[in-house]
Amino acid sequence: MKLFLFILKRFFRLVLTILIISTIIFFVIRVIPGDPALVVAGIDASNAEIQAIRVKLGTDVPVAVQYVRWMKKLVRFDFGTSLISNQPVMTLIKQRFPLTFSLALLGIFLGILIAIPLGVLSAVHRWSLWDYFGMVYSQLGMAIPSFWLGIILLLLFSVKFPIFPLFGSGSIKNLFLPAIALGFARAAVILRLTRASMVDELSKEYIITARAKGLTEKMIHYKHALKNALIPVVTVTGIQFGYMLGGAIIIEQVFSLPGLGRLFLFAIYQRDFPLIQGGVVFIAVIFSFTNFLVDMFYSFLNPKIRIS
Amino acid sequence: MKIFMKAGFILLFLLAAAGGIFASGKTESKPLNFALSGNPDTLDPQGTSGTLTFQVDKSIYDTLTEPNEKGVIVPALAESWDVSKNSLVWTFHLRKGVKFHNGDPLTSADVKATFERIVDKKTGSPNKKAFDVIKSIETPDDLTVVFTLGKPYAPFLASISSGWGAILPKSLIDTGHDFASEPVGTGPYKMTEWVRDSKIVLTKNNDYWMKGYPKINQIIMNIIPESSVQIQGLLSGQLDIVYMVSKDNVPLLQKSPDITLTKNLTSLIMVMAINCSRPPFNNVKVRQALNYAIDKQKVLDTAYSGGKVIGTFMDYGNAYYKDFTSLYPYNPEKAKQLLKEAGVGKDTVIKMYLPQNYPPHVKAGEMYQDMLSKVGLNVKIQMVDWSTWISDVYRGSKFDLTVIGHTGKLDPNGTLSGYGKGKYVQWYNDEAASLIEKAAETMGYKKRKAIYDKVLGIMAEQVPFVYVGSSYRTSGIRKNVTGFRMTPNLDTFDFRWTEFK
Repeated sequence: MKLFLFILKRFFRLVLTILIISTIIFFVIRVIPGDPALVVAGIDASNAEIQAIRVKLGTDVPVAVQYVRWMKKLVRFDFGTSLISNQPVMTLIKQRFPLTFSLALLGIFLGILIAIPLGVLSAVHRWSLWDYFGMVYSQLGMAIPSFWLGIILLLLFSVKFPIFPLFGSGSIKNLFLPAIALGFARAAVILRLTRASMVDELSKEYIITARAKGLTEKMIHYKHALKNALIPVVTVTGIQFGYMLGGAIIIEQVFSLPGLGRLFLFAIYQRDFPLIQGGVVFIAVIFSFTNFLVDMFYSFLNPKIRIS
Repeated sequence: MKIFMKAGFILLFLLAAAGGIFASGKTESKPLNFALSGNPDTLDPQGTSGTLTFQVDKSIYDTLTEPNEKGVIVPALAESWDVSKNSLVWTFHLRKGVKFHNGDPLTSADVKATFERIVDKKTGSPNKKAFDVIKSIETPDDLTVVFTLGKPYAPFLASISSGWGAILPKSLIDTGHDFASEPVGTGPYKMTEWVRDSKIVLTKNNDYWMKGYPKINQIIMNIIPESSVQIQGLLSGQLDIVYMVSKDNVPLLQKSPDITLTKNLTSLIMVMAINCSRPPFNNVKVRQALNYAIDKQKVLDTAYSGGKVIGTFMDYGNAYYKDFTSLYPYNPEKAKQLLKEAGVGKDTVIKMYLPQNYPPHVKAGEMYQDMLSKVGLNVKIQMVDWSTWISDVYRGSKFDLTVIGHTGKLDPNGTLSGYGKGKYVQWYNDEAASLIEKAAETMGYKKRKAIYDKVLGIMAEQVPFVYVGSSYRTSGIRKNVTGFRMTPNLDTFDFRWTEFK
């Protein structure tokens, strides 16, 4: 029952969030300069032609009318039609989402795969070689821009040693290098946090108690300390996952991947209003959902954290 | 920990499996891999002004007439055409036995329906006005189309030959077919796959009317935004043609024994546009000073891939081009003197708007800023994205200076129409405006050339722009590929003669 109430509360919060941000984005993109009809028309079109394009796109009516029209559709989960490609926004998002989602998932997975073991080792064996390695890694990871790493990876593993394809999409091989480029920097953040959190846990009194009880170091580190130390890590990883969907824009550009990032980037460039709006709403839902999952995961890690 | 390790193993296994599939080679005839730097918004030839659309559509559609590799208009879907004495009635005789990709035979009804679609307001075509001059279209028989124009209109044949004159099948027009994502034409290739932002696959049309052409069975247009990836793809043989190579990458490609670099003059008119309605640029002396202050060849060589300097608003290779470059040669001293006479100094802040998505224009803009500051002008740069440029700068004329390249047109009317009556440079000159209108209604190259010479002379003297030049385009092509052509003035790709050696 409590869980149900929790989900219900979360759901209403999500609806409210979407209502607010969709309204903000709706007006913001209409305030900034740029008219989609002019993007379609190009520089040689006459005023009459531009007006005909506006009528076709439905941008000739007052903004308030456009807003009502859009809201009417939105409540029916209809994001409308792209002004530039004339495809339903939902179809475009559905086509692109699997790629970006797999990319972010693989990226965060590779990130965790590097970060958590290295973070734990660094914390347990402080000032050891592991720790120094971890430090150097996290410095590099945070300093190296992902697009640069992406290009270097391409030159190395698609040109010098042609193991992975240079461009194209549709297979997991196309995702591996971009996922590394994305995950590399994320891992640095997660690593630092894991180490700090683990060090913090290890200095707590219950660890001394555990040692006094005669538990093995292994038990203490992994069974007790790690589980508690992971709570802030999970939060940050959840947020990092959200950021990855954003960070994918640049990576998709470098690796010629047809993902959400490029879709939304061009939507902004071309002032494709329905696509920008749909994109923002979609990303908001993903963010809220990730946060929800993170919250659920807390109670799994530590049953003491009650859902409330 | 264990979970992570297990997952890691699964992942490694998956990758190894994927690698195994990758190893199996293909034996069927090789497709041509082409690099396209962006995704076309639509493939409806009537629904856009975007060059990318026409570049792809060139292989999917045909026009009644088309420019050949020298820019001369030759028969395509129409075997021949006649024009009445008063230049109002144009009769086109269609080729027999041409089929659309869906199997429909090409008839005069398709031609009629096509042009009726483009002038229909509901289509919202940005190229409607090119055909507004048509009063009626008659189809006396299946292979004859008669256009009757409302007034003599010299650019008509050029409009028919441009990308937006592509012929669509009537049966699909009638059912409201989605030409934007599923193009159906009579062209040398059919579009068989389009993964947006990734690739467009074109497959040979075996029924193509030009017997024995095209040569290559499949063309894969790989959409690759990152130019360094295009270059690496060309070097490693994963790409066969990169049609535009930036200046920085030329040395890298020159070193490769597998690549031919070709250099062609584009039909672009590179300019720095001046807002003639805003002080101090409403004073012609100041505009002349700008022209004296700019070292045009240096800008062409540094920002663009080299090129030919021009002195008026027409591309260098155009049949209507006239040389006015001696009017305002590079002379900073003269520029300073003119500015002094006009009383313009450092205290006048000049805003230059640059379209940030075109790095060469941005580079050129920075050079102009530097050159203008040397003659004592205070230029501030403002970067804008393309939508803002087109809405505020171009349509709104909210700028002092801006940098852009005007694309070439098959007919000079396309380039000059509207100038003298404002346009984005806010330049008003009744004589030029009426001459431009007169030239559009005048038939015959010689007569038109005489009028355009006058127009271009006025524009060269009054300088609503700093005319810079027409730039070169360098293409990188693998040595085993021959016969790749670019359509003159339209900048579209023509793969019909392309083959592997």
